[in-house]
Amino acid sequence: MNNKITLGCLMLAAALLLAVPASGMTDSLEDVSNPDAKCLKCHSKNLKKKLEDGERMSLKVMASDFEESVHSVIGCTGCHRDVGKSKHPSKKPISNRRDYSIAQNETCGQCHAAKAKAYEGSIHASLSGSGDAGAPLCSDCHKTHAVQSMAVYEPVTGEPCKACHEGIYDAYSQSVHGLARSNGNVIRESHIQAPICADCHSAHDIDAVAAIDHLQTTCLDCHEGASLAHEQWLPNAGMHMESVSCAACHSPVAERRIDLQLYDNLGQVPVGKNENHAAIRERLDEIDTGGDGLGPVELWKLVRLTSKDGKATDVTLRGRMEVTRGVDAHRLAPRSEAVRSCDNCHQGRLAGSMRRAGHASSCWTACWCLP
Amino acid sequence: MTTLYAMNDHFEPDRQEKVYLHPLPVRIWHWLNALGFLLLILTGFQLRYVDLFSLMSFETAVKLHNWVGFAVIANWFLWFFYYVTSDRVTNYHPDLDAASFFRRYFSQISYYSSGIFTGAERPHKVQPHDKFNAMQKLTYQFVMFITAPVTFFTGLMMWDVKRFEGLIELAGGIRVVNTIHVMMFILFVFFIIIHAYMGVLGKKASSHYKEMFTGYEEPHD
Repeated sequence: MNNKITLGCLMLAAALLLAVPASGMTDSLEDVSNPDAKCLKCHSKNLKKKLEDGERMSLKVMASDFEESVHSVIGCTGCHRDVGKSKHPSKKPISNRRDYSIAQNETCGQCHAAKAKAYEGSIHASLSGSGDAGAPLCSDCHKTHAVQSMAVYEPVTGEPCKACHEGIYDAYSQSVHGLARSNGNVIRESHIQAPICADCHSAHDIDAVAAIDHLQTTCLDCHEGASLAHEQWLPNAGMHMESVSCAACHSPVAERRIDLQLYDNLGQVPVGKNENHAAIRERLDEIDTGGDGLGPVELWKLVRLTSKDGKATDVTLRGRMEVTRGVDAHRLAPRSEAVRSCDNCHQGRLAGSMRRAGHASSCWTACWCLP
Repeated sequence: MTTLYAMNDHFEPDRQEKVYLHPLPVRIWHWLNALGFLLLILTGFQLRYVDLFSLMSFETAVKLHNWVGFAVIANWFLWFFYYVTSDRVTNYHPDLDAASFFRRYFSQISYYSSGIFTGAERPHKVQPHDKFNAMQKLTYQFVMFITAPVTFFTGLMMWDVKRFEGLIELAGGIRVVNTIHVMMFILFVFFIIIHAYMGVLGKKASSHYKEMFTGYEEPHD
């Protein structure tokens, strides 16, 4: 009898022990849909797939992350459409993690077409296209399975940009914008929504800063009275606003330089921004035979030849004062600390170096070069 | 009776009455113009060679150049409206007989290149309504109707590049506008040096300078 009781207790204990993991899994999956629960039944375990490059890629999905993500409503097959009973698990080889991510991220565009198109023109996409393994894809900013709504990125945490641009974020957080943001959005005793990364750089069509004018336009979108305010004291205010980046004066600690840019006057865009510029690229390749960049004479030759082509393009060379290091563009100071003295650019080292480089130090020839 | 001199090397030793050659508006315009151009040259040099010398800050140089530039433009209109409303406009009237004009022009050149050294008679007899010799007439008309307006227009364009963007493009770009402005500046510098030198060729070195303050020809003795 005692033996039977003992055996019964052992069987009950064994049943309970075996039941624990099963009931635990059921608890974590109870909020996901039935088909997703089927997926997670395997993918909540430490599954791994061996890639062609030898890496063992984890296939584990944290059920809780997925439950809380905005994508839980579309389910696993909303993105993994190629998964079917008959062909899963797939035997198709995966070369490496990066290629797999790129292929999977193309799925995002099926629902988020506008965002995907915006991303395609961005510096991030450009870097990714040129083979930069560190260039962010959709899932690098939005996570793979823990996809959250836009509101999550709003607070001043620096996520997701900070993950790659930590130095820049630190500079921002000490800037007039960052401090205002962390102090309850109060600037000069007014309640103003201070900008976070995406407000200036936009979220998806992020561009190389040196190649665009829209950052300045973005500043003026909020600082509506800035043009008028500059006209009150700054000689040639319109030209300064066009040929000097805001940060060159409003980041007083920054070192400055003159960037020269080929500009398409007909398209009103920097060269390289539309398909008409293929001819200019050809000219560039003709002139820069060594691929070691253009000297002053070669640069003028390029401008002269492309202007001579004259059919689809009208190219000029535009100078623009920028901060030397990108991080300095984020150290924006309160207005009272902005550079206001002409001597910062028109006297001393910068003016001298421009003269030695063959430019007259006067503003109109150094900063606003036109052929 | 005091013997009087006419201005600009053309005194008439036998003229008896005191002649009023330079009315007050002309003298005001002349000296404001002189002061204005000296300041423009000085500030212009400072703007252009900011890293070579530091007579004043760049900001002061820009502001002074702009303000004085506008003052000189306004002053040009003082000159223009005075003469178009005055009978003394005859001083600038062009000579419609080209052959006669160039004959007098070359005789003036001949005088300055040789006659002046041998005590020859001056070819032009100065009168209140005909005070400029042929060389002066041509030079002053060129300066006042070509050099000055071109300098004003190009300066105005560079004063606000964005505002005059269209005109600048029409002219061939900011470099062209800037080059023209500098070329006009060079002409003005030459003009001022020669003008100041010719000013000392009166009876006494100070004679013509005094005339430009008093308005009257300086007495001969």
